[in-house]
Amino acid sequence: MKRQIPLIIVLTLGIFFFIQFFVPSQISTNIYQTTLQWTLVISAFAIVLAIGSLVNHHMLKIKRRKPHWWNSIVTLVALVVMALLGIFGRVKGLEPLGELYRKLFHYVQSPMDQAMFAILAFYMASAAYRAFRARSQEAALLLISGFIVMLGVIPFGSMIWSKIPDIAEWIMMVPNMAAKRGILFGVGLGMTATSLKIILGIERSWLGGGGK
Amino acid sequence: MRLKITGLLLMLCWATAAMAASPVTAAPPEAVSVAVIAPPSDIKAVDTPNDAGHAITVSWQASPDEAQKLIEGYEVLRSEISDGEFVKAGYVPYGFTSFDDQDVPANGKDYFYRVRAVGRESQALSAVSNPARASEQWFNTLRINALISCILFTIIVMIFIARARSGQSLFIRRIAGLAAVEEAVGRATEMGRPILYVPGISTIADVATIAALNILGQVAKKTAEYDTPLLVPNKDPVVFTVAQEIVKEAYNEIGRPDAYNHDSVFYLTDSQMGFASGVDGIMAREKPATNFFLGMFYAESLILAETGAETGAIQIAGTDAIHQLPFFITACDYTLIGEELYAASAYLSREPMLLGTLKGQDWSKAIIVLLLIIGLAASLINPGIRVIILQMLRVG
Amino acid sequence: MKILENLTKINRRYIFLLVALAVIIPLIVPMKLPTIPGKYTVKLYGFIDKIPPQSQPILIAADYSPSMMPELQPMLEAVIRHCFAKGIRVVIMTLDPNGAALSEEALKKIAPEYGAVNGRDYAFLGFKPGSSIVMMSIGENFRQAFPTDFYGTPLDSLPMMNGIRNYADVPLVLSIAGSAITQGWIAYAHTRYHANVGAGCTAVSTADYYPFLQAGQLVGLLNGMKGASEYEYLNKKNGYSSAAPVATKGMNAVSIVHLLLMLFIILGNIGYLVTRHNQSKK
Repeated sequence: MKRQIPLIIVLTLGIFFFIQFFVPSQISTNIYQTTLQWTLVISAFAIVLAIGSLVNHHMLKIKRRKPHWWNSIVTLVALVVMALLGIFGRVKGLEPLGELYRKLFHYVQSPMDQAMFAILAFYMASAAYRAFRARSQEAALLLISGFIVMLGVIPFGSMIWSKIPDIAEWIMMVPNMAAKRGILFGVGLGMTATSLKIILGIERSWLGGGGK
Repeated sequence: MRLKITGLLLMLCWATAAMAASPVTAAPPEAVSVAVIAPPSDIKAVDTPNDAGHAITVSWQASPDEAQKLIEGYEVLRSEISDGEFVKAGYVPYGFTSFDDQDVPANGKDYFYRVRAVGRESQALSAVSNPARASEQWFNTLRINALISCILFTIIVMIFIARARSGQSLFIRRIAGLAAVEEAVGRATEMGRPILYVPGISTIADVATIAALNILGQVAKKTAEYDTPLLVPNKDPVVFTVAQEIVKEAYNEIGRPDAYNHDSVFYLTDSQMGFASGVDGIMAREKPATNFFLGMFYAESLILAETGAETGAIQIAGTDAIHQLPFFITACDYTLIGEELYAASAYLSREPMLLGTLKGQDWSKAIIVLLLIIGLAASLINPGIRVIILQMLRVG
Repeated sequence: MKILENLTKINRRYIFLLVALAVIIPLIVPMKLPTIPGKYTVKLYGFIDKIPPQSQPILIAADYSPSMMPELQPMLEAVIRHCFAKGIRVVIMTLDPNGAALSEEALKKIAPEYGAVNGRDYAFLGFKPGSSIVMMSIGENFRQAFPTDFYGTPLDSLPMMNGIRNYADVPLVLSIAGSAITQGWIAYAHTRYHANVGAGCTAVSTADYYPFLQAGQLVGLLNGMKGASEYEYLNKKNGYSSAAPVATKGMNAVSIVHLLLMLFIILGNIGYLVTRHNQSKK
C-alpha cells in the first residue's frame, strides 16, 4: 500500500497534466496555475525541513567534536544572525539592523561568492593543462580547434592572421553548434522517456524499488 | 505558423460569414482630423483560436498610405454595439495588420472593432468590423504535432517493453561510466572511505535531477549492501527531502534499515558558490573514495570536479548541461554525456522493462535522424519544402 | 630528456601562481597590447557615430547585476562617453532590480566629465519590473512604462524627452545584459516595433547572438570584455575619451592568461609526446 499510493498519485497527475498541455480552456489553465502555487507552498515546507537538517547536521558535528567542528559553530551563528537581521531589519525603528544586514551581504557574502567564482579561472588553467593532450587524432583535432578559438578572442589572433577570429567564429557556429544539437536530441528523448517511465510506474528507483 | 494558421482561419471565417450573408456593418470611413491619410480597410474580427477565451483577433488591410511612410501605427478600438462608443483596446506599429485583443470583457458576447490609422499629424478611422464572439477551446490544434509524436514515441517504447517482457534479450552498449559504479563502490568499501553523491544543484522540476535521484536509489542500494558510508549534500530543499526518502527506502529494500544514517543526506545552502565551497570542504576533510556528480550543474561544475580530482577520488559525472560537459570530461574519470544520464537507471538495474524503453529511445532517434536527412534533402531540392517542414514541426 | 618528460607533471600550485601573476601584473603595470576592433564592434560604433548630435536619443537598457559588472559596466561607460562626446542624447533604463545603482553610478561619473546635464543630454529612467511588458509598453509610449524618471520628474518635464514617444523616435535600442533578456529586446523592440537593436553581452553568451547578427536583427554586438576594450580603443582613437580604459586593462589580463594557458597546454603536450616516444623506444 505504501508503494501503491505514490504510484497512483503519479499516474493520475502525470496523465492529467499531459492532457492539460493540449487543453487551453479556462478551467484547465486555472488548475495548472493553482498547482504551480501548490508547489510554492510545498517548497516552503521543504525549506523548514532543510533548515532542520542543516542545524541537526552541525549540532551533531559539534557534539561529537568531529574534525574542524568549530566551523559548524560559525555556520550556525551566521544562520541565526543573518535570519534575525533580515527579519527585524524591516521593523520600524530597527532600521540600523537592516542596514547591518545589507552591509554583511555586500561586504561579506558577496565577496566570498565572487572569490569562489574566481577560483574557476585557476581551475580552468590546471584542468586544461592536464587534460588537453594530443592522445589520439581526434584529441589533436580538438586541441587545434581549441587553440584557434582561444586565439580568436584575444588580439594576438588577429596579429598572427586577420582571418583567425572569423575561423574561430565559424568553429563555434558550425561544428560546435551541430554537436550541441546532436546531444540535445538525445537529451530530449531521454527526458521524455524518463517522464514516461515514471508516469507509467515502470521506473520506481525513486521509491527505492529499483524498478522491481 | 501560428500567424499563417490564424490567417487561414480568418479567411475561412470570413468566407463563412460572407456566405451566410451576415450583416457586416458598413459605416462609411470617417476622417477624424485632417484627412490626409486613408484609413485601413476590410476590418475582420474572429475568435482567437486555441485559447482560454476572452480574446478576439482583429485583422485589416493596411492603409494605402503606409507605402508612403505616412502611417506610424494603428489603434484598435472595441465596442459592444456597432454604433456605440469605441474604447481603445490596443496599438500596433505600422507593418502589422492584425492584433490579438486579449482583454475582451466577456465570452459569448458580440463585440465590434474599428481600426484607426495614426500618422504624424492626422488620423483616419476605419469602418466597423463584423461582430465577433470570444470563446474558449478544448483542444489546442497548434499542438497536434506534439500529440502525434508523443503517441508515436509511447507506442514504440511499449512495443519494446513488450518484447523485453517476452524474454527477448536486448543489446545495450557498454557505458564505461556506469560499468564503473560497482567498482567505485567496492573501492570505497576497501579503503574505508565514504562515497560522495551530489544530485546536481537544480530543482526537482528538472528531469536531470529526477534521473540523478533514480541513480541515487541504485547507488544507495549498493552502499547499503557493502555498508559503505554515503554523503549526499543538497542545494534544493525539495530535492533534499526526496533524496532523503530515496536513500532510506533503498536501505529498507536491501534489508539494512539499521545501517541507514539519517544524517547522511543533508542540506547545505541555497547559494550556488556557497554550495560549491561546502562540497569542496567535505571533499577536503572526508576524502571520499568516489565522487558522483550527477544531474544539472552550472558554473560550479569545474570547481567541484577539480577539487575532487586533487583529493584522488574516482569521479563519475553526468549531466545534460552541455556547457558543463567539457569541464566534467577534463576533470573526471568517467562522464555520462546527455542521454547516458537518463539511461543510467535502466543500465544499472538491468530491469528488462527499463531496457525496453532504452531501445524505444534508440529507434525514435533513428526516426528523427531519418526525418533530418529527408528534410535536408528536400530543402536542398526545393527551399519551399523547408518552410513547410518547419511549420509542421513548430509547436504553438 | 627527463626535464621534458617532467613537463607533464607541473605541480598545479605553480600553475595557480602564474595565473595569479598573469592577472595581477597587467592590471598594475600599464601594457601596450594592440587592440584590433572586431567587425561587430565596429558596426555598432559606426551606427552610433552616425546619429546626428542634439537630435533623438538612443535608448540603453542596462539589464545586469553586480556579478556581471566587470564585463558589462565598461561597455556602458564607453558607449555613454562616445555619446556625450558627440552630443548624442541617451535614455538609460534597466529591467534588473540591481541594475539601477550601476547605471546611475556610471552616469554620475561620466556626465560631469563632458558637462552633460540631466534632462537635456541624458535621462535616467531607473528600474521597472516586468521585462516583456515594459518592452511592449515602450512600444506605445515611454510614459506608459515610465511616467517619471528615476528622480520622480515627469518625462514631459524633461526637455530632451519632448516629442519622444516610443521606439519610432529612438534611432537605436542598445541592450547590455548577461542574460537572455537581450533576446526579448530583439523580439519586441526589433521584430514587433521595427527598432534598430544593438547588444552588449558577456563573453560566454556571445555564441547565442551570432544567429541574430547573421539575420540582421542586431546592428552590432559588443562581445564581453573584448568588445568593451575595442569600444574604448575606438573612443580614444577618435579623441572622444581620455578616461582610463578599464576594459582594455582587463583585456590585457585576459589575453596574457590565454597565452599562459596555451603555453601550459603546449608544454604538457611536448612532455606527453616525449614520454610516449621514449616508452615506444623501450
